[in-house]
Amino acid sequence: MRVSISAAAALLSLLQPLASALATTAVTLAVPAQPALPNPNVLPPSTHATLATLYTTYSAPLSAANTFVFRNVTPGSYLADVHCATHAFAPLRVDVVASSAPEKLGLLSVQAWETFRGNDWDNKGEEAKEIALGGTPGSSLATAKAALPVRCLAPKQYFIERSSFSVTSILKNPMILLAMVSMGIFFLMPKMVENMDPEMRAEFEEQQKNNPMASLMGGGGQQAANPMGNFDMAAFLAGSSNKKDEGGPAAGAASDAGNGAGKRRK
Amino acid sequence: MHFPLSALSVLLALPAAVRAVFQDEVGHIDYHYELLGVPQRETTFFHRPRRQDKASLLYTLSDLGVLGAVNPSTSSVVWRQLLQGNITNGAGYLRAGEDATWVASAMGSSTQAWDAPTGRNLWSLDFDGRAKDLEIMELTESDHKDVLVLYEEEGATVARRIHGLQGHVVWEFRAVNGDIPLQVSTNVEKVFVISLHGSLLSYSLKVTVLDTLTGKRLDEINIGTKGEVQKPEDVMFVGANSAAPIVAWTDNALTKLKVNVLGNKNKQEFPLLADTRSVEIHAPHHIQSQPHFLVQSRTKTANKADVFHVDLKTNAVTKAYDLPLLDGESAFSTSTAGTNVYFTRVTPDEVIVTSSLSHGILGRWPLKGNDAKAGALHGVSEVIKKSENNYAVRSAIVTDTDDWVMIRNGEVAWTRPEGLTGAVAATWAEIPESEDLAKTLEAEAHSNPLEAYIHRVKRHVDDLQYLPDWLESIPGRLLSSIMGSEGSAKDSATLTRDSFGLNKLVVLVTKRGKLYGLDAGNNGRIVWSKSASETPSTLPWDVKSIHADDIKGLITVRGADGEFIIVKSDTGKTVETMGPGLWPPVQSVAVVDSAAGPWLLPIGIDGKIGEIPLAHAPKQTVVVRAGNELKGITFQPQGEQAVEVPAWVFSPSGKQKIVHIATRSPHDPIASVGRVLGDRSVLYKYLNPNTLVVAGIDEASSTMTLYLLDSVSGEVLTSSTHKGVDPNKDISCAITENWFACSFFGQYAVRDSETQSVKGYQLAITDLYESEVSNDRGPLGEALGEDAKFSPLDPIEQPTGPVIPSAVSKTFMLSGPITSLAVTQTRQGITSRQLLAFASGSHSITSIPRMVIDPRRVVGRDPTPAELEEGLSKYTPLVELDPRFMITHERDVIGIKEIITAPANLESTSLVFAYGVDVFGTRMTPSLPFDILGKGFNKVTLIGTVLALTAGVMALGPMVRKKQINMRWYSA
Repeated sequence: MRVSISAAAALLSLLQPLASALATTAVTLAVPAQPALPNPNVLPPSTHATLATLYTTYSAPLSAANTFVFRNVTPGSYLADVHCATHAFAPLRVDVVASSAPEKLGLLSVQAWETFRGNDWDNKGEEAKEIALGGTPGSSLATAKAALPVRCLAPKQYFIERSSFSVTSILKNPMILLAMVSMGIFFLMPKMVENMDPEMRAEFEEQQKNNPMASLMGGGGQQAANPMGNFDMAAFLAGSSNKKDEGGPAAGAASDAGNGAGKRRK
Repeated sequence: MHFPLSALSVLLALPAAVRAVFQDEVGHIDYHYELLGVPQRETTFFHRPRRQDKASLLYTLSDLGVLGAVNPSTSSVVWRQLLQGNITNGAGYLRAGEDATWVASAMGSSTQAWDAPTGRNLWSLDFDGRAKDLEIMELTESDHKDVLVLYEEEGATVARRIHGLQGHVVWEFRAVNGDIPLQVSTNVEKVFVISLHGSLLSYSLKVTVLDTLTGKRLDEINIGTKGEVQKPEDVMFVGANSAAPIVAWTDNALTKLKVNVLGNKNKQEFPLLADTRSVEIHAPHHIQSQPHFLVQSRTKTANKADVFHVDLKTNAVTKAYDLPLLDGESAFSTSTAGTNVYFTRVTPDEVIVTSSLSHGILGRWPLKGNDAKAGALHGVSEVIKKSENNYAVRSAIVTDTDDWVMIRNGEVAWTRPEGLTGAVAATWAEIPESEDLAKTLEAEAHSNPLEAYIHRVKRHVDDLQYLPDWLESIPGRLLSSIMGSEGSAKDSATLTRDSFGLNKLVVLVTKRGKLYGLDAGNNGRIVWSKSASETPSTLPWDVKSIHADDIKGLITVRGADGEFIIVKSDTGKTVETMGPGLWPPVQSVAVVDSAAGPWLLPIGIDGKIGEIPLAHAPKQTVVVRAGNELKGITFQPQGEQAVEVPAWVFSPSGKQKIVHIATRSPHDPIASVGRVLGDRSVLYKYLNPNTLVVAGIDEASSTMTLYLLDSVSGEVLTSSTHKGVDPNKDISCAITENWFACSFFGQYAVRDSETQSVKGYQLAITDLYESEVSNDRGPLGEALGEDAKFSPLDPIEQPTGPVIPSAVSKTFMLSGPITSLAVTQTRQGITSRQLLAFASGSHSITSIPRMVIDPRRVVGRDPTPAELEEGLSKYTPLVELDPRFMITHERDVIGIKEIITAPANLESTSLVFAYGVDVFGTRMTPSLPFDILGKGFNKVTLIGTVLALTAGVMALGPMVRKKQINMRWYSA
């Protein structure tokens, strides 16, 4: 579709005296249905695409057939961007060059590749092969038979989730987990000890006596209630070391906090 | 693999504290007027976008070049397109064929068709020249409608018929004759091209008749006007698309109306009302409608209308009836239903519907509603016949306050403040504090103790009357504070300051000469609006400066022709005004300090200031722009006056043109003079308040140089040159603290390796430090450091010129164009700053965290632990404009020209306001809201948790006690 030459094109032609600088061509980009965008008809009408290079910019709105039609494009190497409010698209490099084939002399050919922003311009990705437009004859896009596909990357996420209050998040807290475990020991241990047969129990109690950690853990309930209850201050100050010989008041008290089986000394 | 990798590394580089918008803040902290611009008379209509659907939409092409569809029942925008990608001044054409599913627009060089329900483009064509008219060919040889466009090329008139569905040219008619093309029109058989033939001040009308199928010239008719048509605007109306299109004009004295039915030579004359000041013609645009038209004549105080009929056989125009002369403004509009034509008249008091056949009134509704008294300028209507004698009408009226009002059967259904569009200047203003209490307290302080005491007791007794109300409001306030709905609970009708400083006024000036006061703390509610028409300057109004005086509560707006208006910021009441031309023209205005206090110094064309009374002489250096130069001007006393003395002149090197100048905001506090590095050493920032950034570009070689100027000495502190910068795309800069940034489109070979080149939108950012190394203050250090040789008595022996900062620069590639750079402002500058910009591609406003575009990001290697601690990440050239950076989130914000920011009382918060076509405002917390509980702080949960814990303790307490007692007893 060659209509005429715009002022910008004229300027470009002055700057880049190419043999075919006066020729222009039409470039069509299409948004096909793809995994990231199953239905391109949901794209908002504000979606548009631009072809940009030094001194020149072309802009095209999204058409009803999900294409962008740029007319009167002069030769050059363009950065094609699709600007959309709802989806992100991969940029393309679109080269419009004079055809080398002798039978097409004076005509322009269009080639496109994926490009990587922030990388070398000649670092081209996969070539975007023209796809045929499945438009019915007489549709609004009878002028464009084929188009360059643009790849949709992902829908855009504008918002972040506010971390809200939830029971599970509280339960995942390590402090809460620790507390739960010690609660479990506190409530379940006496019951377990009660259910043991006397031999085992005696053995267990013996073990408990020898294990200072267990005394700390198991004695939680009673000690918390009265932690200083059976601390012999006078003996402590006197540096008395008879505790070990007697099995230790704390250890003894702690060993069977639940059953209250007369181990306490007064 | 490149893309995902780089994207990933950028994402990783983002600090955890990137602050996107929460969904529940939408509409709470931000506000957005989604606008079109003021609808134009000829390009607004009701149209049914779907044939089978009865619902119609309201289409308009506004005076800013925004094409849009509005739902007439809800006033919401269905779709809109900024046609030229930029704000334009009027003009443009928009038509829709009856029952067509598309609308066609023509503007500038392009003609486009749009899908009416969705706003998708159907086809676009660009031609040489400028579009002068557009019409729809309703009846064609095939089953679709076609488009007729008229273009004006240099010396040539070009008419084209374009295939309505496929958008290709069916035929083209070109006449190279130097005529001025006026309009194109068609009846069923022929196409008429009307142009002005002849020379200036004595044109004759030339009607070229074309064949509809081929575009061949069939006939040419010249209609003499005897010098009555002196310019294109004198031809008032060319009826389009009716069965008998007409062309009409008046004589110069507005005493007679001349009408010609297109296609023949006769013209008929009709007398007009005495003292007629303007004449307007309204006619239906549909081919099957009866060929009737209405002529409205306005006098200074009143208006009337005459209805004419055209006889299709004889082409005779006869007057059918007239509508009475009524005082005030009326807006007439035409609507059709089948062959019937209805005229709707909206007067200041009522809405009247008449048929075109007789003067009998079909319906009459008194106007009620809020601003029904606003003068109606023009409008469009839709009349529905419900039953034999029962009609309903809805009219979309453009008022002289630039509002778009929908009147449904006499009641105002909605009002769209379209006048907010096309804003050219805006400023923040504090809400003036009520001075009553301050005055009373002062009075008490200055009277004798006893009197003061009695006065005070009286005052407190007086205040008691408010106590019951206050007590009553406590439960409500408590509840709303717990439920977190504190924003909606307050009375929105009053303007009050709040302790957080979020309630501020924004005063907006539009190019149509209107002033608006918006309450930024209250979702941008329009507090007042007024016309500055006391100073009717040229339209569009060229506003040079707007300044808010927060102490006095006044806003000063200055125009280019020396006119100014001073209004109160809270009410918009005019305090002082001066018409254009009375004072010399103004290029810009600067706030200067003088012995007599700060004042607004007007700067004349080419930076001329002239003599100033000594007391008002500015103490600072005033930087003015004269053509492509910047000049620093100081003032020297000379007798009673102070005369300007040029201190320095700066002109960019070579053939460069200054394209952008960025200056610091007056409010630019700096919390820390240094930047603490990972090893606890300090890199001192170069903090010079007298700096500005100038971007100069050489268009031929496309090289841009950024200069950092010292505005006192005129010295270039640092400069950097960028090759391959596009001068045709936006270049925008911003400067704050110790850094500045510029955005541009660049295409150049990379300096490191000549074989590599880049192309894309870029952002260059530069940090300024006193020295390259840490714990060093550069040349200043020798003067200030521990081994100070400096003393006031023994100044530095050999001053080595200005202190040149050490500049660290990086350029980042952006994933889209950004313009209108701005920087967030907070009260004390402790909060980190963010770069704000309008992302013109994605129609949103983006905020780029400083951390992402830090020039000290390390290149080519991973950062060391010390650098990581400093917050530096590895440099990646790409900065993706992440959707979560968008402070406008999902909103479609178009045509932003400028973004202004202001600090709130909360250190964490910066207020943002953007204007252009749309108006958008929000609050930002660049370092997260560290000093305010946000919506995430759930008071209900907190109270619930405390209650649950209390209940748990209450329940467990007795259990534990019981157990302990049991233990003691059983153990004993």
